[in-house]
Amino acid sequence: MGQLITLLRTDLVQRLRDKSVIIFAVIVPMALMGAMNLVMGDAMDMELETATVAVSAPEGDQLAAALVQSLPEIGLDVEVTETGAKDVQARAESGDARLALVIPDGFSAALMAGEPVEVTAIRGDGAGLESSVVLAVVQGFLDRAGASAVATAAGAALGLPPAQLGGLAQQVATGDSAITLVSGETSDEQLDPKGALVAGQAGLFLMFTVSFGVLGLLAERELGTLSRLRSMPMNPVLVVLSKVLSSFVLGVVATSILLTAGGLLFGVDFGSPVPVAALIVCAVIATTSLTFIVIKLAKTSEQASIIQTILAMVLGIAGGAFFPMSGGGLLGTILDLNPVAAMIRGLGITSGGGGLGDIVTPVLIMLGFAAVALLIARVVPDRGAMA
Amino acid sequence: MTQTAEQQKHTSTGQDVLVVDGLVRRFGDLTAVADVSFRIAPGETYGLLGPNGAGKTTTISMIAGLLEADEGSVTVVGQPMGPTKVAPKRHLGLVPQDLAIYPDLSARENLTFFGRLQGLSGGGLRARVAEVLELTGLTDRAKGPTKEFSGGMKRRLNIGIGLLHQPTLLILDEPTVGVDPQSRNAILESVENLSGEGMAVLYTTHYMEEAERLCDRIGIIDSGTLQAEGTRDELIRLIGGVDNIQLTAAGDTEAAAEALRALPPVARVDADRGRLQLTVHDAPTAVAQIVTTATASGLQLSDVQISRPNLESVFLHLTGKALRD
Ligand SMILES: Nc1ncnc2c1ncn2[C@@H]1O[C@H](COP(=O)(O)OP(=O)(O)OP(=O)(O)O)[C@@H](O)[C@H]1O
Ligand SMILES: [Mg+2]
Repeated sequence: MGQLITLLRTDLVQRLRDKSVIIFAVIVPMALMGAMNLVMGDAMDMELETATVAVSAPEGDQLAAALVQSLPEIGLDVEVTETGAKDVQARAESGDARLALVIPDGFSAALMAGEPVEVTAIRGDGAGLESSVVLAVVQGFLDRAGASAVATAAGAALGLPPAQLGGLAQQVATGDSAITLVSGETSDEQLDPKGALVAGQAGLFLMFTVSFGVLGLLAERELGTLSRLRSMPMNPVLVVLSKVLSSFVLGVVATSILLTAGGLLFGVDFGSPVPVAALIVCAVIATTSLTFIVIKLAKTSEQASIIQTILAMVLGIAGGAFFPMSGGGLLGTILDLNPVAAMIRGLGITSGGGGLGDIVTPVLIMLGFAAVALLIARVVPDRGAMA
Repeated sequence: MTQTAEQQKHTSTGQDVLVVDGLVRRFGDLTAVADVSFRIAPGETYGLLGPNGAGKTTTISMIAGLLEADEGSVTVVGQPMGPTKVAPKRHLGLVPQDLAIYPDLSARENLTFFGRLQGLSGGGLRARVAEVLELTGLTDRAKGPTKEFSGGMKRRLNIGIGLLHQPTLLILDEPTVGVDPQSRNAILESVENLSGEGMAVLYTTHYMEEAERLCDRIGIIDSGTLQAEGTRDELIRLIGGVDNIQLTAAGDTEAAAEALRALPPVARVDADRGRLQLTVHDAPTAVAQIVTTATASGLQLSDVQISRPNLESVFLHLTGKALRD
């Protein structure tokens, strides 16, 4: 134990004296976050646009009230104004609201009777993606309420061409909309774009940071100190273990710095510290476990760098470090099992107020990933530094 | 070869510090070490003399437990050695052929780090580090990173790390390669001192002068095989070693040759116009008598040269090639 501590301490001292760790683990990702924030800033803000909705609902109608209440909870910024039917139309025309909804009298009764209900939707000027989402949610609500509900878009007053009106009516009616219906639950788990940027870059660079451990081992070989270490009265496994532990420590420290500093700079709150710490530790365990495979494969530090860079880019990009990735079927499953993706997802949950109990899935994915990597490392024949 | 070492070797009742028995190591098709066996007694300095690629480092790597042997065994102070063995490694100090120091750490940090791994700690460690810094002449430069050291300073530190924990057996793999003559002499002196203090030393080199100067016994290694082993004199006798004395003179060389042949140490005399070639046993003791006899028989000597066979000639004799190309 004393020898392991001696090894680890010396490893860390050397990594820190050699400034490249600090540069690669902290400074470069921070700079990239800043640059990407500048470049993508506008796009992010557009997505964040608030959906202004004016609603007229019948007094004392329970289901109508429930529908209105559900609107602000769909994960987007939704500003709901309840007002009378006439005013609703006026607001849409004046542009005060981008979307107007008129819920008819007897809404609850009709739904419960299974009769068709017409919710009138009016899209105002500049109605964009967010209005479509709101419409889809309304449709979803109607569907859930069990009615063969039909929503009619009556935008004639705004001068919308009939073809578009028909399309909108059909879109709302069938729920077959161009945009994906975002359920309340999922959107709670998603980071806003700036949060995703910070978490993604932290995840990507974690892959680079942990690689310094393996590189240290290969450097020992190139320095000749590995022979000397192996002549010391200690289990030779300690040498590898110390490198892996130094990767782990560097990974935890760097990721904590990136998430904290990135969060402060970009105004992202990742949630309560304990589950966030748990996510960081698991992500570092997962990525560090990969270095065991690299240790077995790489003969020189160049080779190790190349392997680590490939792994970092593949896992980082697939994990959504640069832009969100999604897919269905097998591809989707593979993407989901990525530790970087799991960390970003986990941070989404914690930023939405999730605690330890809510991040079980991403934690299990990351630990499972680590277990598989270690298993692979065991079977891969030793051709690298310790061969 | 000193008399005391000879006695030590033969009278040693204690356990041998190192027993190497039938070591074999292959790299693919190449047999780098083919059946090497030797022993080192406590306090003895043993030299492995051989050219580049002879298998010295490979042998040492197996002895120090860095490399698994394909066949054979290594026993250090009675304990079997291998890559995963811990206990026998406590008795070893290794000075690898290639530098093995951390460039970003200072000399003191390097020493302290390896000292801790060797099991030293606290005041004992600090004291040893200070001693070794003094011994290697690095006390003044103890603080700066070793990447700023000169080549000789790095070499000295490299050696210092190996003897930090006062091992029973110090292994030095060509420690003087690439060192200026002054540093080289300092290194040889400190090896002599350590040996004088009772440390057993395994020393590899391809400089026969170093082997002759330092080593009680020498193993001559080539192509992974120990060709011969013994004290310097034993090795020379092995090739029928006799000395040569060459006299340059004016006068009756034939008559002088006749007189010289009668002397007991003289085995053979060839006379050739003003020059006499004598083959003698133990030239240093015989030379005075030879000069007296030659002068008495009327020769006016202008030059006397003694040449003795050395390990170079032994190596040439054994392998048919020079130690260094
Ligand atoms: N790891 C290795 N893989 C393949 N061949 C090796 C390896 N190590 C040594 N050899 C080969 O084994 C032979 C003996 O090498 P070794 O280093 O033991 O020689 P040496 O006597 O120490 O030489 P030198 O005086 O140049 O240091 C050489 O032919 C060398 O190329
Ligand atoms: Mg060598």
